[in-house]
Amino acid sequence: MALREPPVAEHRARRVIERVPGSRSRWFDSPYVSLDLINQTGFPLESGRKTWARSITPRMSNTPVPLRNRHLAALLAWMIPGLGHIYQKRTSKGILYAVCILTLYFLGFAFGQGKNVYWRWVNPLHSPDKFCLHYLGQFFVGLPALPALIQATLVHYGFPTLLGGFMAEPSQNVINGLNSSGRLVDVGTIYTTVAGLLNVLAIYDALEGPAYADLEAEELEENAAETAGSSETNLDRIKVEPTT
Amino acid sequence: MTFAMVSLYWYILPLVIAITPVYAASRYESWRLIWIHAARLAGWILGVLLVTTAILLLCNTQS
Repeated sequence: MALREPPVAEHRARRVIERVPGSRSRWFDSPYVSLDLINQTGFPLESGRKTWARSITPRMSNTPVPLRNRHLAALLAWMIPGLGHIYQKRTSKGILYAVCILTLYFLGFAFGQGKNVYWRWVNPLHSPDKFCLHYLGQFFVGLPALPALIQATLVHYGFPTLLGGFMAEPSQNVINGLNSSGRLVDVGTIYTTVAGLLNVLAIYDALEGPAYADLEAEELEENAAETAGSSETNLDRIKVEPTT
Repeated sequence: MTFAMVSLYWYILPLVIAITPVYAASRYESWRLIWIHAARLAGWILGVLLVTTAILLLCNTQS
């Protein structure tokens, strides 16, 4: 039987798989290859070959760090800083994020006497002076700042606030009193906002893995090569043949 | 001594201590690299702030 011309997808699959081991491109620096990528090429891998490919490519991301269900990890990282990393078994890193971000947040919250984290549903185009810009950062601390959003929503729809108005928008008298009590409140607002922005970095880390993990993987690979005498990965052995 | 009595400049330290390891941890996975990068970043931030403050003080005293 004559070999048929391989379709474009097969060329692409071959190129992807062959480039991985020694590649220096942006996406393939890692010795690992995404199973998603192999499947997206639509190349008809044999079932046994696919099983073998799955066994050597257990991760769904190009990063050598195991991210498990990375979208769930990102959601958990938003809810409680560091929780997404603990879910990913990156426990010590999760603890680092939790300690740094939550300490900064609660320190700032204490400086603001619990009155500097609140939200107000207003149109920023119509009432820019009433728009709570700081809450856009604080929101990303997750659950610790979420009561502010719930309280503001209740107030917006005419319901009474919960928990004695905890994290509800303070009255103008209280805000004026805080503003006149010194700059500590401003420092607290900065702390809580920066804590939220730092958690954006943590969420992104849970979603995509560390930015320079590939460099570390190369370093590890070189170390392994020094000890084993060879830096070739199992992926070198993948050879895709055109189907007949 | 209450927090209000502390000079405002000191409040930069908790910020730097929190920011630098978090930023470094988002870049690297190896603890050795995280701490090295965090220490270098903290040095840069504090150094730039000190130099800027010194320049501004110099400008103020000259005027």
